[in-house]
Amino acid sequence: MSRNTISEVIKLKRRLYIELLRLVKTGKLVEEISNLSQKMITKESPRYRCCEFKERAIFDQRIKAVMGFNIASNKDKSLEELAESLPRQEKKRNIVEVIDTACDSCPIDKYIVTDACRNCVAHKCVNACPVNAIVIIQNKAYIDQDKCVECGKCAGACSYNAILENQRPCSRACELDAISSDSNRQAKIDREKCVSCGSCITACPFGAITETGDLIQVALELFSEKNSLAAMLAPSFVGQFGYQQSPAKIKYALKKLGFEEVREVAAGAEITAAAESKELKEKIMEEKTLLSSCCPAFKRMVLNEFESLSCLISNTDSPMAVTAKKIKNENNKLKTIFIGPCTAKKEEALQNENVDYVITFEELLALFTAHNINLAAIEKGEKLEDAGVLGRQFAYAGGLQKSLQELVTDNYNSKQIDGLGRLKKELYLIKAKKNNYNFLEGMACVGGCIGGPSAMISEKAAKKLVQNFADSN
Amino acid sequence: MPKNTLKICIGTPCHLMGASELLESIAELDQSLRDKIDLKTSHCIDDCCEQAPVVEFNGKIYQDLNPEKLYKIIRNNIR
Repeated sequence: MSRNTISEVIKLKRRLYIELLRLVKTGKLVEEISNLSQKMITKESPRYRCCEFKERAIFDQRIKAVMGFNIASNKDKSLEELAESLPRQEKKRNIVEVIDTACDSCPIDKYIVTDACRNCVAHKCVNACPVNAIVIIQNKAYIDQDKCVECGKCAGACSYNAILENQRPCSRACELDAISSDSNRQAKIDREKCVSCGSCITACPFGAITETGDLIQVALELFSEKNSLAAMLAPSFVGQFGYQQSPAKIKYALKKLGFEEVREVAAGAEITAAAESKELKEKIMEEKTLLSSCCPAFKRMVLNEFESLSCLISNTDSPMAVTAKKIKNENNKLKTIFIGPCTAKKEEALQNENVDYVITFEELLALFTAHNINLAAIEKGEKLEDAGVLGRQFAYAGGLQKSLQELVTDNYNSKQIDGLGRLKKELYLIKAKKNNYNFLEGMACVGGCIGGPSAMISEKAAKKLVQNFADSN
Repeated sequence: MPKNTLKICIGTPCHLMGASELLESIAELDQSLRDKIDLKTSHCIDDCCEQAPVVEFNGKIYQDLNPEKLYKIIRNNIR
């Protein structure tokens, strides 16, 4: 998943985070929440839909998701009512959700004939079509969508490039075919296939797919000061909070924000790597393959689509799970909050009793902003040195493989693949026993975690910074 | 000596709204153009965080930017 440029959709979402957090901070969330869309979307603000009223209706749905509520199942509840019911008692929810009012029902016909069609004499398209789906009507080729098998031969044959391949951005982004359309031709997520990787959220130009989050819950906990919170920074955090903002400064700022503990998940990653190396040694003896388990989206894909391979997944807990467990063992009054670039971790946390909340880098930056903490203006720092290179390099694709190569000196082969589409192909090969290695590192996002959907800087820059930080300890 | 000064705000609100993209886009500028610019960073320009990201180019402040807008500003105002 390469990072998209920051579009108006993203900006609006981030502004919403800030405004909601300001309401939490001033204790006016319940009181003011119903007026928020009116305040933020005025007649003058740029509009993408028919009228400001529709914009506001969509915005209200978005607010529900930011508060952690599923939109579809809370359709009839008012914002006020939902805000009043916070903190949510029930953890279970869908992470990725379609805002149906925002979905533009993009065309679902895969091939369409454009006006560039000249009704030429050759009719290469008609000839190329294996199922006779193309007829000429009113001097223009026409594709009978009932007959079309979406092979694309007509598009390749046309001398004028007049036939367009047209795919919805959300379903194109989804490597697992988890997005179909419902009876209103709006996007629909197949829960059996979705791994919450977040690709569709980034891909939709209408901002019609969103994630439900813990941000407001975390803010309520922070501002109530009744609870003690522990921040767990994903190994990919380095450099994500601004140009030249050091890890030490980030730790200091998090404490200033109200976190009692600040830990590197990379420390958990070291434990994960050690445990996984033991498993790997066994697999080498048995001449079998081990699949990495730290990326929840990859793991979920194996469980969903390759049941027969699920026994190959490492049983080792993920770095997030290990870190959270360690914190709870030391002090079970602390609530644990994972901070990362990942939507799939939100899903993983729902099933883990030790992880209380997950927020993303952008959500944390909104928290800083709402709290008037400007990292660039801070000159103090607090040393962050929980982990070494074996854990810290988990942040980028190939890092886990490298750590295991250090830990397991036996003679074995391993492979590293990032990107769900490529991983899926590789799993078919493993299923057919056509692989010649004992270990596969699978990362759903291209580039690994630093390429995650909520990453704030480019993969290239992030990798360099993570490597520097890893080598510094 | 470069004749132009570009100051990019790297404060948290600006970073959240895309300051890092602006910095990256400067690194990708044509070398002939890049050589004419003295790049600086600032932790806050003019307190206009609501209109982030913000830059100052040759003394003038520009708000609510993206890499494309910034490129046009540089092209049109470079000395």
